[in-house]
Amino acid sequence: MKGLLHTALVCALLFVGCRKDTALTVMVVDMPFPLELPPGAPIPEFPDDNPLTVASVQLGKALFFDPRLSRDGTVSCASCHHPDRAFSDTVAFSAGIDQQLGERNAPSLANVAYHPYFFRDGGVSTLERQVIAPVQDPREMDHSLELAASAVSGDAEYEHLSQLAYGRPMDAYVVTRAIATYERTLISGWSRFDRYLHQGGASAMTEAEVRGWDLFSSAELNCTACHSGFDLSDHSFQNIGQYLEYADPGRERISLDPADNGKFKVPTLRNIALTAPYMHNGAITTLDGVIDHFAGGGLPHPNRSPLMPNFALSADQKGDLIAFLNALTDERSIDQVP
Amino acid sequence: MRIPSRTLLALLLPMAFAGCRNDDDVIEPAPDPTPTTGTLRLVVVPKWEGGPFAMNSVYTNVNDFRVKVEVIKFYLGDVRVVNGSSATTVKDVEFFNLGEGRDTLRATVPAGTWTGLRIGLGVPQTLNNADPIVYPSGHPLDLANAMYWTWAQGYRFLIFDGRYDLDAGGTNPPAEPFSMHTGLNDCYGEFDLDLGTGVTITAGSTTTVTLHLAVDHFFYSDTDTLDLVTENQTHGTNLPLALELTNNATQSFSVE
Repeated sequence: MKGLLHTALVCALLFVGCRKDTALTVMVVDMPFPLELPPGAPIPEFPDDNPLTVASVQLGKALFFDPRLSRDGTVSCASCHHPDRAFSDTVAFSAGIDQQLGERNAPSLANVAYHPYFFRDGGVSTLERQVIAPVQDPREMDHSLELAASAVSGDAEYEHLSQLAYGRPMDAYVVTRAIATYERTLISGWSRFDRYLHQGGASAMTEAEVRGWDLFSSAELNCTACHSGFDLSDHSFQNIGQYLEYADPGRERISLDPADNGKFKVPTLRNIALTAPYMHNGAITTLDGVIDHFAGGGLPHPNRSPLMPNFALSADQKGDLIAFLNALTDERSIDQVP
Repeated sequence: MRIPSRTLLALLLPMAFAGCRNDDDVIEPAPDPTPTTGTLRLVVVPKWEGGPFAMNSVYTNVNDFRVKVEVIKFYLGDVRVVNGSSATTVKDVEFFNLGEGRDTLRATVPAGTWTGLRIGLGVPQTLNNADPIVYPSGHPLDLANAMYWTWAQGYRFLIFDGRYDLDAGGTNPPAEPFSMHTGLNDCYGEFDLDLGTGVTITAGSTTTVTLHLAVDHFFYSDTDTLDLVTENQTHGTNLPLALELTNNATQSFSVE
């Protein structure tokens, strides 16, 4: 163990000691990325074939923001997943290449490391495979993943990092691995709510926010039936009675089971104040509107979740609930990669 | 700052070894001097009612609709040669794009006489569920073939696109689009082809078998007839239509 620590220390010194503004070209040895976890956060799992290293996350971050992955060089992952919006978008449907619109609201990427499946219908099982979709979607980046990899393969810094992290030149494999690894580092858990809950910070939340938390976790509202755990989501699929007939079949598209019609993955509520508009299609623009929807119990769709009781809130209570939701905003960037 | 020498040595030694590696050192196995296998070359030739078929030409289908087929792409998977009760897999998967001349499958087959073929229309489940990133350029499952459904992490098995016109006597080019894409493991369909008295594969030689693909049959079979008025789109959500098309298409193959 002591030897490992020595090795890690030397690697770190080699890296830091040589660091310039660009930094990337001088790294000679890859090393584990020191991911900082907030109190209460579970340790995320990284696939054996895609470990968390400095080179992989630096490459992943660079690729995440690189529009060269799109057919005409105008759209990057960050075009629809804005860092200052907890890596979500501000519009219902994001504009991809040639200003084409998607069909679902771009979700926050916060805590995707803890997600068991991806997309709002859960159709993709790994982040590595998820990366393929936006690159190849004709309404997003409209590129072939291989051509996208080719477009950046001449970049000396990318090639260097690719060799360090994966021992191979830049290719489609590296693109998917590196971006997935970077996304796994986007850990959210630095909010006042977290300080209140995990760090004994009784004063971390205001009285109104604490009252809101009490309401949120009450049996009457039953929010925690689905919005529970560290990510404030159990990642189940629920139909919340948004429509009687859904234009988007949701989970049914994957399962082919009509009982899944209109069901979508329960989203995290972390940074919810930053991630408007809401719902799978961004149809509700304010937290006030979201609370009104759930208070009404939703429309009587046959698949509507049984976990949604009607409830009534006074104006003050609604204010408290919204105050609590605002307390879920991280107080620091969830992007840890320099 | 002093770096411990033992640690430095541990870091540098692997690099030194990596630097010395010579790919020429790899010893290739010697070729088999007496081959026991030959090559089976399966060529798919599209037909319309037994006659020639050309992409983007206008034909009249079983419902007297004028149709113009623009795209036919598909996978054939788990291709087996059969002799009696014995079946040997000779190809895991091959991609066909008839509009662009990708119409041939080559497989290494044990020498001997084979009386049948058993073929899957689609990508076998194990391959369909695997990571698509690992395939090299040119591989049938290469993402560049644009057959992968990213949202379902699986391949489209059959793409059948074109246009139709309900007016059998019309003279304008058919304008209404039909676009039927099958995929998902439920749509994997197998079919058997009788090779009559048998096809003999000779060791070290190539034998060609021509498969006719009756494109007109995509619209009908003994059990399913597609009504393009209401059945013209499937992209994963319209499973009944996808299954109908799969059923029809698996019955569209025959041996010349």
